[in-house]
Amino acid sequence: MTVNLKRTSRAGSDAEPISRRKLLGWITGVGLVGSAGLSAISNFVFIKPRATYGAPQRFSIGKPDGFPPGTRVTLENRRICVIREGDRLAAVSTTCTHLGCIVGLSDTGFACPCHGSRFDTDGKVTGGPAPRALPWYKLSLAPNGELEVDKDTEVQPGVYLSL
Amino acid sequence: MSQAANPKPSLLASLMAFPATIWDSIFRNPVPSNDLERSATTFTNFFLHIHPVKVHKNSLRPAYTLGLGLISFWLFLILIVSGILLMFYYVPSTTQAYDRMLDLRGTVAFGNILRNMHRWSAHAMVAVVFMHLCRVFLTGAYKKPREFNWVVGVILFLLTLFMSFTGYLLPWDQLAFWAITVGTAIAGYVPVMGKSIQFLLMGGTSVGQEALLRFYVLHVAVLPAVLMLMVGIHFWRIRKDGGLSRPADADATPDMVMVDPSKAVLEPRKTYGIQGLVRGPLTKVGQIPDNTVYSWPNLFIAELFTFVITLSVILVVSLLFGAPLEEPVNVMHPPNPAKAPWYFLGLQEMVSYSAFWGGVGVPTLFVLGLILTPYMDRSPGGVGKWFSRDRLLANTLFLTFVIANVIFVIIGTFFRGPNWAFVAPW
Repeated sequence: MTVNLKRTSRAGSDAEPISRRKLLGWITGVGLVGSAGLSAISNFVFIKPRATYGAPQRFSIGKPDGFPPGTRVTLENRRICVIREGDRLAAVSTTCTHLGCIVGLSDTGFACPCHGSRFDTDGKVTGGPAPRALPWYKLSLAPNGELEVDKDTEVQPGVYLSL
Repeated sequence: MSQAANPKPSLLASLMAFPATIWDSIFRNPVPSNDLERSATTFTNFFLHIHPVKVHKNSLRPAYTLGLGLISFWLFLILIVSGILLMFYYVPSTTQAYDRMLDLRGTVAFGNILRNMHRWSAHAMVAVVFMHLCRVFLTGAYKKPREFNWVVGVILFLLTLFMSFTGYLLPWDQLAFWAITVGTAIAGYVPVMGKSIQFLLMGGTSVGQEALLRFYVLHVAVLPAVLMLMVGIHFWRIRKDGGLSRPADADATPDMVMVDPSKAVLEPRKTYGIQGLVRGPLTKVGQIPDNTVYSWPNLFIAELFTFVITLSVILVVSLLFGAPLEEPVNVMHPPNPAKAPWYFLGLQEMVSYSAFWGGVGVPTLFVLGLILTPYMDRSPGGVGKWFSRDRLLANTLFLTFVIANVIFVIIGTFFRGPNWAFVAPW
């Protein structure tokens, strides 16, 4: 290989062959920038937890006898409201669909203290900034006779568990 | 000196030379006693060389700058010192954090006043940084060549807000928990990446131990490091961009007229510099009005004065008013109404109309508008003057946004009651 003593012009016209120096420069540059990018991505992979320590999503709330007909009661540590009308039972979320505050029971259904969202007794939005109705969770009767809530599975509002 | 004559000074002579030799090795210059020596010291001292040796008179006018940038920096300094001290007693744990707050209040010597100082300085810094931003806008100081420093300033304002946001989870009281629950939920409304950002911030699906640890690390390590770097760039750019902005007529020079060199009557056997061919004053030095004064003492006194005033006000406020501490976290009961600190109440008020537009859309547009301001408003007029006639449109637009936000803050603070319903404050 002969060494090109002439200085290659900076603009580098199409016809001009790429000098060895320029090629090595590009390879080094791509390598450095690439490694920096990969390091940055691995940092984000690192800070994204693989395991979280949240509360369980499926849990028992006790026997149906604990909720006499006409009950509307919030289970605060589970963030749900259990509704019983006659022999029909339902579990409605009490986490506001707006920004995650906990809604409280009000005369007309539910009300959020943070930004004033209001819901009717079925969790449908009646006012305020909430974008969606409060979700209803799947409620089932376990073999041991206790009610089990599955917060990973939503059901259509109005779908009750009939005893 | 005798030492200079003696190439190998005796131990006794070396001991006798204390402490002057140590002083010389550190400072190079003697304690300055005239302008020349003061200039040399300003130039060579690490802590002083951030200043120019001479500073324009206009930069020292209190009515022009109101000292807001400096006050922001002094507040940041108070926050660093008080924050580091508080770290000696704080534990970022959901079971201990609140107890540590009570310890600071009850048992730690000076614990209460340090926490008060940290909290009130943080509030003050948000306010003063914002006022500084307003000052720079209203005097047109963001214009060329200071466009980029304006952008750095906007980033500093956002960092200040983010510092205060991460800071108020740390006491682990009711305000902390619910403000962060709401704040991270707002991040969740960001298109496409929202849920990932929310998950990364909280380190899980709800605000708990992981979130507390993450906010702690952001608050005491990541954000201060970034903030200090940006402050460094901000200050460096002030110098590189030609000092503080000032009106165009602040640097007036007398007219000088070039003469045709071929017609100039030159003496033989004499060399002429280019200045020799200028009619009128032969050299600019000493001929044009000097609008600069020495930084030492003029600027340094002003800096010291603002620092003393800032620290005194923070101290007095911290002695008189305790930093709020609400009930310990109760993850089941948001306080009713659940209110963010005053400077986020404008945001909270907007969020109560629409989570996306109030929490993400409008703030993003506002910040983008701020950042792009110097690149869109490129007319050179009205720099260095408050409320210049040339800038009537820009200032009116800006003030409209500011006043709108202030009104939202006032509504959120005084006119919102339980369940965020309208109430009369009286």
